Amino acid sequence: MTQSGEDASGTAARGLGRRRLLSGASALTAAGWVAGTSGGWMLRPKWANAAGAIKMGIATDITGAIAPSGNSNWQVAQFAVEQINKGGGILGKPIELYLEDTASDPKIAVGNVRKLIQERKVDVVLGGITSAMRQAIKDPIVNRGRTLYIYPQLYEGQECTKHLYCTGPTPAQQCDELIPYIIKKLGKKRFALPSANYVWPQLLNKYARKVIEANGAEVIFEEYYPLDQPEYSATIGKIRDGKVDCVFNTVIPPGLQPFMKQLHESGFQKNGGTLACVYYDENLLNFHPAHEMEGLYSCLDYFQAVNDPFGNKLQADYAKKFPDTKYLFTAGSASTGMYRGVKFYEAAVIATKGDLKREAVSAAMDKGKIADGPGGGAEMVPGKMHCKMNMYVAQCKVDAGKTRYEVISKAEMVDPKEC
Amino acid sequence: MDEVVRLVFDILAFTSVMVLIVLGLGVIASMMGIFNFAHGEFVLLGAYTVFLFHESGLPVWTGILAAPLVLAVFGLVLERTVIRRFYAAPIIAMLGTYAIGLVIRESVRGLLGGLYKSIPEPLPGVYSLGGIDFSSWRTVILVVTAAVIAGSWLMLTRTSIGLQIRGSLENPALARSCGIATPKLYALTFAFGSALAGLAGALIVPLYQLSADIGLRFLVQAFLSVMLGGVGTFEGPVLGAAAVGATAAGLPWLVIPVLADPLVFVLALAIVRFRPQGFITQGRL
Repeated sequence: MTQSGEDASGTAARGLGRRRLLSGASALTAAGWVAGTSGGWMLRPKWANAAGAIKMGIATDITGAIAPSGNSNWQVAQFAVEQINKGGGILGKPIELYLEDTASDPKIAVGNVRKLIQERKVDVVLGGITSAMRQAIKDPIVNRGRTLYIYPQLYEGQECTKHLYCTGPTPAQQCDELIPYIIKKLGKKRFALPSANYVWPQLLNKYARKVIEANGAEVIFEEYYPLDQPEYSATIGKIRDGKVDCVFNTVIPPGLQPFMKQLHESGFQKNGGTLACVYYDENLLNFHPAHEMEGLYSCLDYFQAVNDPFGNKLQADYAKKFPDTKYLFTAGSASTGMYRGVKFYEAAVIATKGDLKREAVSAAMDKGKIADGPGGGAEMVPGKMHCKMNMYVAQCKVDAGKTRYEVISKAEMVDPKEC
Repeated sequence: MDEVVRLVFDILAFTSVMVLIVLGLGVIASMMGIFNFAHGEFVLLGAYTVFLFHESGLPVWTGILAAPLVLAVFGLVLERTVIRRFYAAPIIAMLGTYAIGLVIRESVRGLLGGLYKSIPEPLPGVYSLGGIDFSSWRTVILVVTAAVIAGSWLMLTRTSIGLQIRGSLENPALARSCGIATPKLYALTFAFGSALAGLAGALIVPLYQLSADIGLRFLVQAFLSVMLGGVGTFEGPVLGAAAVGATAAGLPWLVIPVLADPLVFVLALAIVRFRPQGFITQGRL
């Protein structure tokens, strides 16, 4: 029953040389990955169980525009699954991982995800990073595919599809702590919401505006830009003229750098303005020159600076498995959500006593609870398909030209307020 | 008053970025009749050169100085091996250079791992003049752009090499019979255009971060500028770029930003409709 190591790596080498090398998936040469006959990859543990294995499908962006996040994602999936398999699997059954590249392109993704469902017949699919991707693949997975789907990224909320579980933070989780902190503790009253023109900023801003106004502050302007806009002098002018004292930014790369530079050069921070951006994690620490980062506030479910023993252990083990990797285990790249997703699934299968049928696992997921994770445990809100988790407000500090986050406050088990 | 000065500076600063990028494209298009679709990637390579210098611990400004030289050599080699085969077929040239650009862009994307890289400007921050803050690096770009325009124009109109270039473009056969080595001139012009692209990339990368698509963002607007200004002169593309740059920076003050982008094109296309030759019509330089 056991898949021999030599056999696996031999197949991998041949498959790679023949047709997959150019597909940009070079990182997949990690020992044990096997090129499938119809594209895609799978990872088997070195042992097996007579009762068969649990098949877990990962659909994420290994290539294309958001490949850096996609690669962190599958590295974390691999890491979490390896930990489970090393500990004897789930109720003695090992997890087999199947990877399909969604290639940052929903059109390609739909076909590849279908492969996971129809050919691989996986028991659960985790993945998707952008909202466009989730929208594209949720139907092939959940409705036509009749398979459980776990979406790991922080996102704009309002995803209430049955059997689709979201393990990343929602707007409520990202705004409910941070915005009152900025208004009450920092005394900021005039907000600007400059944003990239797509669905996440639009819906996040809608919620943020509610929280801002409920706390007695006001929104001076809310504005959307093409994603690659290179020039923001008009925006900076509005910030100056409107006497804005907090910029709640949802501009994303590539438009992000010119915006941040022009904002900094306008003296906004120097004159006491506060800059907040809720997707900033460790990947973005060196994204701008240090002086432009200084003082920025973010709010996420995990920062390395949280310094919890469990998270630290995870980071150390992750670094051991992927030494010198450029794909970090962070909250912004959906990695913490991926870890949580794998653990929630494990907990659910244990609760069903090994029953892998979607309805049974889904019912168990609905009441799911995990004791530990990066930044703390998490708990599904029954009937809501979203989970409570700890949220941290952090500020970027600069010591001698080096940037780091400092955790300012922790909120326990924040409600996602979705569905 | 302060507001007006600031507005003028901001628009000028962005306009000079646009002009800087268009210069190399315009020089090659006007002088050689080739639309270099790899221009955006030449800009990218200029930026990437600075990144390599920065990564290896050298000061950023050495990278900025090196970028035009690296790109000049790159352009020279490319012209000698590939581009010279395209002179007879401008349409093929577009496809060919596009393919070259694609190869460069995707290779750099691979080398960067798809990530965005930040490069600090050698002159960070702002300086104050009459109580108004100006960005130091944007000022550098403004000054360099003015100097490059003046230098290129002087070279083309006041030196003997400029005369030879103009002559061989006006009438290649006559130029050859007068003993001017036209292939050499084409190679030099292409190298010069490439060097300008490299310089543009090196100067703008601290503003925009390095990513594989840095050149792509400006490529379409750069073509629009050349169209608007008119092919065949040196001044045409510069004027075109100034018009496009100023409109792109100025419009967001007037309309919502998502509308500003397409509006630049609508305006430019409307102008091209009424002046299909561009702003400046005249034989090639």
